[in-house]
Amino acid sequence: MSQDYNYDEQGQFFPYFVLTIVGLITLPTTYSAFRKGQDLENTAPRIKSDFKPEHADLIEGQRKKQRRRERKLKRMVVAAAGWALMAGMVYLIIVTARTVPKIWDPYDVLGASRSWDEKKIKSHYRKLSLTHHPDKRQPDPAKNETADLINDEWVEMTKAFKTLTDEEVRNNYIQYGHPDGKQSFSIGIALPKFIITEGNGKYVLMLYGALLGVILPYFVGKWWYGSQKVTKEKVLVASAGNLFREYESEMTEGDLIYALSSGEEFKQILHGKSDAGLARIEQRILAEGEASPLAGGLGVKDRAKLQELDEGVRRKALGLLWAYLGRVELDDQALNDEKYEAAPTALALTDAFTSMSLAYGNTKPLLAAYHTSQNLIQAVPPRASPLLQLPRFTPAVVRAVEGETARTHLTVQDFMRIPADQRKKRTVGPGLLTEKEYNAAVQIASQLPALKVEKAFFKVVGERFVTPSSLVQFVVKARIIPPGSTNTPAVNEKDLEDVDAKEGDLDALHGRKKNDPEDAENRIQPPLAHAPFFARDHSPRWHVFLADSKQGKIAVPPFTFSTFDKPLFDEEGNPTFNVQTLKMQFGAPPHAGRYTFVMHLICDSYIGMDTKMEVTLVVEEASKAEEMEEDEEISEPEEDTLMGQMNALKKDATAKKRPRRVEDESSGSDTEGDEETESETDTDTDTDEE
Amino acid sequence: MVNWLSLVVPFAYLTILLGSLYTFSHLYRARKLSKAASLEPWFPPHLQRNIYLTLLHLDPSESGEGGPSKVPDSVLKAALLRRATEDIHRVLQVQNAKPALQSLLQRGSVGDDLWQRFLRAEKEIQEEIKDVVAEANAFAPGWGQLIFQTANEMAQNALLRKRVEEIQAQVTAEKEWWEKKKAGIQADFMKELDEDSKATQAVPTTGRGSDDDAVLVEGGGPTAAQQQGSMKKRKKGKN
Repeated sequence: MSQDYNYDEQGQFFPYFVLTIVGLITLPTTYSAFRKGQDLENTAPRIKSDFKPEHADLIEGQRKKQRRRERKLKRMVVAAAGWALMAGMVYLIIVTARTVPKIWDPYDVLGASRSWDEKKIKSHYRKLSLTHHPDKRQPDPAKNETADLINDEWVEMTKAFKTLTDEEVRNNYIQYGHPDGKQSFSIGIALPKFIITEGNGKYVLMLYGALLGVILPYFVGKWWYGSQKVTKEKVLVASAGNLFREYESEMTEGDLIYALSSGEEFKQILHGKSDAGLARIEQRILAEGEASPLAGGLGVKDRAKLQELDEGVRRKALGLLWAYLGRVELDDQALNDEKYEAAPTALALTDAFTSMSLAYGNTKPLLAAYHTSQNLIQAVPPRASPLLQLPRFTPAVVRAVEGETARTHLTVQDFMRIPADQRKKRTVGPGLLTEKEYNAAVQIASQLPALKVEKAFFKVVGERFVTPSSLVQFVVKARIIPPGSTNTPAVNEKDLEDVDAKEGDLDALHGRKKNDPEDAENRIQPPLAHAPFFARDHSPRWHVFLADSKQGKIAVPPFTFSTFDKPLFDEEGNPTFNVQTLKMQFGAPPHAGRYTFVMHLICDSYIGMDTKMEVTLVVEEASKAEEMEEDEEISEPEEDTLMGQMNALKKDATAKKRPRRVEDESSGSDTEGDEETESETDTDTDTDEE
Repeated sequence: MVNWLSLVVPFAYLTILLGSLYTFSHLYRARKLSKAASLEPWFPPHLQRNIYLTLLHLDPSESGEGGPSKVPDSVLKAALLRRATEDIHRVLQVQNAKPALQSLLQRGSVGDDLWQRFLRAEKEIQEEIKDVVAEANAFAPGWGQLIFQTANEMAQNALLRKRVEEIQAQVTAEKEWWEKKKAGIQADFMKELDEDSKATQAVPTTGRGSDDDAVLVEGGGPTAAQQQGSMKKRKKGKN
């Protein structure tokens, strides 16, 4: 009874082993390498436009660069190598002759059938003994037989016969598979023999050492430091730190752009060539602009900040950003390329800044962040006219449309509301747009998804009143009304109501199910943002948040919507004017009363399509709501459990409630500041009266 | 007899393994320490403090005859107040940033380095405040309790004044715009008037109406003047 380990000398098994292991790696890698990205940007429709901005090739080049970056070339190489290896292994498996171990079968040896009974086997054996017994049989040299062979054969036959007839031998056969009892067995290791052959040992050891000592630490380290280098928002940690330190509670868009230029990412974009073209950029952006005092659209303060910076990457990055926003021509292919590359980076940094301003909870920087996102996507400087979003609209055209001395800007919606003939008269002309360009612009304008709020209200699911500390839903009913839409149908009153889910539908009541399950996948995407200057595809997102206007604080942090529940456009591209529902949940304040919030609905891609409106949350005493319930006399057991669950949910919600926190903060220094400003105004009026 | 040669291999293995682990941890910690030591400070150099300390340690004997004599107490006190004002700014910034930074750190939106820098800045500002209080008490007992109140008011005042100045800075641009607008309106009306007068030549009966218009145009002047006047007054009031 010996055991021995056999290495896979004929190479029968190790291809199976390798095939399995390689397959385990290759198949998922292939899937992830070739799977189409499920990002919004890849699946959304586009706004039809044939507008090609200047340097469209550069912008397209940037887009291609990004696509290449997303293409996961490394994964593809790994997958290809894996498949090649797998193919090789399959080839080996097919080619290698398999040695099938023979199973000792007494019936085969005797040439008997399994259906025979003992008697018949005995008679068969006797017949065989007549011909096959070594005494009876002569070795036949023609068949290459020897006496030994014949003897062996006979021994086998006897053994087989005994197996089938003798009780003890039969037991052995059943238990161990062999009439002689336990046999020696061998264990095969699916590794080729050359691994352990003399002389190869050191190479195998070296391979092992390299695997565990070098490659494994390398990849773990790379992953660890790589994950440590970027934050959750996918910006470099150093950039996030810089942005955080640039934060101020009274930030304007210009300040934010200054802050963005502190991003470390720009160092990579500029490859450290900070001095090349800096003078030219500044000369261009600080030149007198068509509509603004400076061509880059900077304010006086922004210029001062730019000029205070040390010469270096940051100053150049800031210059490039302003050049991008002001659509300033830099007359240098490399500089223009860097200009277009800076914008998407700045947008990513703006995202990071948004989360910072949310942590601080001040409204103004958050709004600045959202507006900067709009400006970056549309390549329009802060405080400039939203009309610049339309193709071929230059500051000169805008001025012609808005009038020489206009102080406020027309939004695209306002522009499209001007009667058509008058609008055309103002826009088309020498030095302005040609008729064809005008028509193209109007066509784009009438495809922009401007969200118009029809109704906004608070409600608590299953109750008539909002009670203290309950889980409130803020429901916004809005329609996409592209600018210039005529014959907009009236809103169907029914659409403006928000019907509760059926009782007993716990999922819906608990907000686990946002909509119908099949809807979750079929949510409608708005078309990609029309942003010809922005070197990425961007899907517009709408942010809704509630702010406390008195304290300038965010009361309910933003909810972001990127898809809608009903189609926006029909097949011919005409707006459907469906009423869309946007919902956000938060915990109600713990005390009864009237709370007035300012709702901000902001699209991150289009300028001048924000909605700002006042909403009032009326929180009733809990006792009042209870009275109502008693009147209705609901006391079914099912209802009780439901209510119990709802209550538990409410308690959860109170823990992370924001309105209360905001109120608590309204003490101390804030009120002091208020008093001081009051006294200051007092003295002002006094002197005025003198 | 122990076969020493065959034992060499496992011992060498162990030595290399432990040695490399130790080297790694040593290098890693050394690098971390040096990185922590080279972290950029949160705040820029404290100019006001430096000025104060320089004034305090000015030694008249060193600078010879032509140099300044002992710095008067009033100057030192003013410098200390300036230093306290700057501290107020820093304290406010630290106070506001702390909860935000904590939540951002938990969410992984900022790095650990920033938090280390922040903690250091916080500690530094605490020490700084203690130092200022002690200095103030050295000038006049009990001033330490009051100095930061005074400094706070100074800071608020400075903030307010800055804001007022910003608004005042817009005056010229606003004025220019108004002049331009006024001129535009006037030109428009004159044009209309011309057209009207042409029309009146054709139909003389409408002459009176155009006169009224002309009076309205004149009306723009005085209001503009008034506005400018009030602006000037306001300026006086603020300063």
